[in-house]
Amino acid sequence: MSSQQQTARRLSSAFQQGVTRRRFLKWGLVGSAGVAAAAAGGFALLRLSPLDDRPKPDWADGLSRQEYHLFDRARVALLPTVGTDLTPSDQVPVVRNVQGILGFMDAATRKDVATGLTLFDNAAVFFHGKRFVDLDEATARDYFDAWSRGNVVQRTLGTVIKQLTYTSYWRDESTWGPVEFDGPVSDRWGIAYLGNAPLPDQQSEQATEEGNA
Amino acid sequence: MSEVQWRSSGLPVTEAKDIKQSALTLDADVVIVGSGAGGAVAGYELARRGKKVVILEAGPYVPSKDFTERFPESLETLYQDYGGQTNKSGDLLVLQGACVGGSTVVNGCVCFRTPDFILQDWQRDFGLSDLTAEELAPYFDRVEKNLSIEENKEHEIARHGQLIRAGANKLGWSVKPFKRNIRECALTGHCLSGCKTERKQSMLVSYLPWATAHGARIYADTRVTEVLADGGRARGVRAEVTGHDGAKVADMTVNAERVILAAGAVQTPLLLLKGGLANRSGQVGKNFACHPSLYVSARYPKPVHAWRGAMLGVYVDEFLHPDKGGFVLEDGGAGLAELSMTAEPGTGEPFMQFMKDAKYLGGLVTLIHDHNVGTIRWEDGRKVIDYQLANSDFPSMKRALKAAARLHLASGAEEVYVPSSDKRVIRSEADIDGAIEGLDNQPQHLRMVSYHPQGSCRMGADPDTSVVNSDGETHDVKGLYVADASLLPTSIIVNPQVTVYALATRIAERMA
Repeated sequence: MSSQQQTARRLSSAFQQGVTRRRFLKWGLVGSAGVAAAAAGGFALLRLSPLDDRPKPDWADGLSRQEYHLFDRARVALLPTVGTDLTPSDQVPVVRNVQGILGFMDAATRKDVATGLTLFDNAAVFFHGKRFVDLDEATARDYFDAWSRGNVVQRTLGTVIKQLTYTSYWRDESTWGPVEFDGPVSDRWGIAYLGNAPLPDQQSEQATEEGNA
Repeated sequence: MSEVQWRSSGLPVTEAKDIKQSALTLDADVVIVGSGAGGAVAGYELARRGKKVVILEAGPYVPSKDFTERFPESLETLYQDYGGQTNKSGDLLVLQGACVGGSTVVNGCVCFRTPDFILQDWQRDFGLSDLTAEELAPYFDRVEKNLSIEENKEHEIARHGQLIRAGANKLGWSVKPFKRNIRECALTGHCLSGCKTERKQSMLVSYLPWATAHGARIYADTRVTEVLADGGRARGVRAEVTGHDGAKVADMTVNAERVILAAGAVQTPLLLLKGGLANRSGQVGKNFACHPSLYVSARYPKPVHAWRGAMLGVYVDEFLHPDKGGFVLEDGGAGLAELSMTAEPGTGEPFMQFMKDAKYLGGLVTLIHDHNVGTIRWEDGRKVIDYQLANSDFPSMKRALKAAARLHLASGAEEVYVPSSDKRVIRSEADIDGAIEGLDNQPQHLRMVSYHPQGSCRMGADPDTSVVNSDGETHDVKGLYVADASLLPTSIIVNPQVTVYALATRIAERMA
């Protein structure tokens, strides 16, 4: 076990022991991810980031400033396109789409997710001496990989952030061309609408019933 | 009986925007909660026999022409909880339709009769002696005819299905074309986003318009909050009509001597539990199963374009019987969003390389015969789907995964991606055991999805151990019925829509 994994396990263990009421969030996304794990109680920022003072865009009214910067860092770390013909992630409204998905959550779940995201951001201080939002790309990826091999809380948070980011990128039409994804086709192909199925023949239905009787 | 008024397209539905009064009271012979597989079939079968039927659907009415063929958007508009319904620990996405037509609008069209050995289990273990293959055959015949259920023709087996079929043949495994409820499939691959051009024979274009032709009335945006009963008899329901902005529009009461719950295996028990009804056995909400499935993707040397062609072409039934493994492998198409969610090829460049090569990916869906270990309940006013894959089912899951990996390799795949939280890639037969035996049955280790929730109001002869009898009527409340997948006493391994159609037909026939 790597030192990072050991530290992750210790951190998570301490984290879980320290809370009075542990809750696992219910929330899922397209493929399987579904949850962010979190704990009751506040979670103060362990270390300030230069990004803490940087404003978020006007459209990001559904995200805290910290959440905006977290997902923007995740976008950069998780969606590298240099050297490929894939659409650069800064040309796709990834974080805006994340905000849209989070907007469908009920208030209680959304609050729990916010707590989980704060944990993910701050726990990097224990491993790398910096919050997640301040990690360079390679270190941020290592951080995700370590959490994918960690305990339930870590696997949950890592998976949720990844899947939110992935789906928010790939749902955008501008990403489809380079991978030959066709997207919606019925209108483009001019496929006719068939309408409603014809009513079953009533005499036939009646005969079947009599057979059943 | 009034004149039958069939329309060639669309559906007459009363939506929240159509309701002007703050309270309304309706009278009916039968009120049906839910417009999916069970509710729609029961609605038609009763309406055509002259019953006055009202169908209440909590979800919106979305006409086919408004389907977008964009899966992430469809999740948000057609599915329960905007596509975010999960089990308690969140590692199992439970996908259910939440619109007029229910899950039949967004399913993959796969049709199976209930396996005979499952019916035998029900007869032996639950006293359902009348539910024999012979007894049910006419009902299966009828729904198969009504819904144009036929075996896939060769052109409906897409590239991904052809590969899987060849691999299965190479291994000597039994592989068959699916039967599907579809007319003139347009091969768009967008089944899970609803069939825009109305080829899938969902309830939206079949039993619901037929029910309304016979006078049934459908209300969308109408969530039932209470089943009314007194003196051990059903009396109707109370409901709330809610606009798409979330604001309540009206209270509704439907007076009816017969109430059919067909809201699905999550919502139906929640409704009963809320009212404390039909639960002398203590089994309401218990025995939940869901066919937890995995999407196992693999990279092939030549383009597959898993989003092109019919979504589901062939399946491997070699291991269907519990004595042979108790699982099914289904060839499955997928779009970009689904592919990005199911595999863990690594973080950063490995992931983007994986997606860059998305056109080379093919997929297999595993379905297992899970035990009924879950519970549906309320907790602090919120629904809870308390289901974790049982330790006794984990070996089946691993066997299914191993078989999927073997099948992909035999089909020519170069890399198979285990759908786990950490990176596990299989490149040869020698890798399979190491990659899969190392998995733990722990929350969030596998990326599971359920399309088939079932079993939470189980059917049986004994009122002390089951909720409803073989006619779908609750043991405790006369006139209160269940006609959805809640009543299946065990998981049935295969896709359950046809089982629900047949049982709902039978239940309605016996009610009438």
